[in-house]
Amino acid sequence: MKLIWANVLAIYTRELQSYFITPWGYLIAGVFWLVSGFFFSILYYNLTAQSILMGSDPNLPSVDYAYELIRTFLRVLGQVVLFILPILSMNLYTEERKRGTLELLATSPITNWAVALAKLGAVVTFFFTILLPIVAYQIVALGGASPAISLEPLLWGYFGLLLLASAILSLGMFISSLTDNTIVAAIGTFGLVLLLSLIDAVSNSTTGIVTDVIAHISLLKHYENLVQGVVDSSSIVAFVSYILLGIFLTAQSVEAFRFQRS
Amino acid sequence: MIEVEKLSKIYGSTAAIQDVSFSVEPGEIMGFLGPNGAGKTTTMRILAGYLPATTGTAKVAGFEVHTDSLQARQKIGYLPEIPPLYPEMTIEGFLAFVAKIKGVSAGDRPTRIDYALEKCNLLDRRKTLIRKLSKGFRQRVGIAQAIVHDPPVIILDEPTVGLDPKQIIDVRKLIKGLAGNHTVILSTHILPEASAICDRVTIIKSGKIVATNKPDNLMTDLQVNTSYDIEVDSNYDRVREILMGIPHLNTVTIANAKAFRDDRLRLLITSEGSHEIGPDISTALVANGIPPYEMRRIQASLEDVFLELTTEEMNIAPPILESPDESQLEPSGEDNE
Repeated sequence: MKLIWANVLAIYTRELQSYFITPWGYLIAGVFWLVSGFFFSILYYNLTAQSILMGSDPNLPSVDYAYELIRTFLRVLGQVVLFILPILSMNLYTEERKRGTLELLATSPITNWAVALAKLGAVVTFFFTILLPIVAYQIVALGGASPAISLEPLLWGYFGLLLLASAILSLGMFISSLTDNTIVAAIGTFGLVLLLSLIDAVSNSTTGIVTDVIAHISLLKHYENLVQGVVDSSSIVAFVSYILLGIFLTAQSVEAFRFQRS
Repeated sequence: MIEVEKLSKIYGSTAAIQDVSFSVEPGEIMGFLGPNGAGKTTTMRILAGYLPATTGTAKVAGFEVHTDSLQARQKIGYLPEIPPLYPEMTIEGFLAFVAKIKGVSAGDRPTRIDYALEKCNLLDRRKTLIRKLSKGFRQRVGIAQAIVHDPPVIILDEPTVGLDPKQIIDVRKLIKGLAGNHTVILSTHILPEASAICDRVTIIKSGKIVATNKPDNLMTDLQVNTSYDIEVDSNYDRVREILMGIPHLNTVTIANAKAFRDDRLRLLITSEGSHEIGPDISTALVANGIPPYEMRRIQASLEDVFLELTTEEMNIAPPILESPDESQLEPSGEDNE
């Protein structure tokens, strides 16, 4: 057991290093920062203008614009990451397959799920790292807000974003384990993300038992709850279930692929 | 050290290997020889614990590779057909990673890495990025990762494929140097390679083992058919009728090599085992008024044994008449060794 955790750590470290020594990781981070920064500026100026306009009228109910900005921006980020995450997850296993290193991992004293866990851990850590500057500039930008922003809803929101990302990355990892073609893996994961959005749209537009069920499996719905500040343990359970499902399916598919003739 | 019993691997309805059994003694180098697609890689992958066998057992250092997979894997160093390398890592970093996942303790790692680097002649390149290495160096790094955790058993799948003659010699020397401390099993489709480095050779054909012995004994052990190449001025049916009466004569086939003249017939005659039927053939032909223009006994070499054992069609051109296969079987630079 001790050896397995040592192996998980070894693979995790190697994976994480590879994000920082290849231009790939920086490129993705750069694009993500650019796009999210662009949206943040737009939202910031819009809401500032709005607050000046509305704030002068004492008849209107007062609105916490800073909090509103955080929530809207988190919703936007939730959409932006849907495009970034498939690009992060597409290479997780396809690259190993292409290089033949999957054969090295599979013939080392380590189980498939440990490899999957380590890989997912590394990519989630990388995603967490690129989120940090975004959280930091928000705190700086809203530092002067009155009333002062409370960090709690902000952190829950980003925790939700991290969970959402982990769930999508986990499923994306499974898709990448099915093929040795990066493009196929990326398109497959985009398809999955599209499906998730579709599920969310259906659960928003109709009512009934089916919709209730769909709402429970909709990742974006659970994310929205966390962004709204509704911390429900069922949301967290849903995210964790998706993450575990992804790891489980990945381990199974890697195992099953060995049976095939290559 | 390696015990393989009745191993079969079936994909759908086709068997990649069937009832393969062999054993390898500690410290021995065993060559697994066969044409492409004979089931060498499948066998290697089963031994390395990558593929599960359909039936049969394979034990490495006392552990069954499927049921005690994790223990068995720790005892094995494995170089797949394509060396598994992370191009963005340095040689040293990569070996450290492999040592870690193979369970080498942190204290032993530096010495083990140095050992592997030294064995594979990579000491002066330890900081080089793998993506900058040439094919020969990559192969050496592949071997280094297979020995870095000091495994009792080393499995090498086609370790010299795609290398230039100089590199082939280097890699062979390296493999030979591993014997004694390690038990090595390697696959190859190059016969001189097997006879040059292996203590024992197992020949596999269409998933079945056809022979296993020391390279020198392989020929006598197999009772290779003696064959004769003759040229006569007659038609095939008549000659065949005359010759089939000779005791111990096995087959008479038309050699598909160019005859000197179109109206003459060139035949390849084989006898059972090592029976000497040359005098009988000439006597029978002369008695029937068909004197041979040319008659020659074909000395079977180890290469012929291999070809005979591994080729479906028996009427292949004898290697004395320029066989196109020969150039493939013997890579250039072979004589330098």
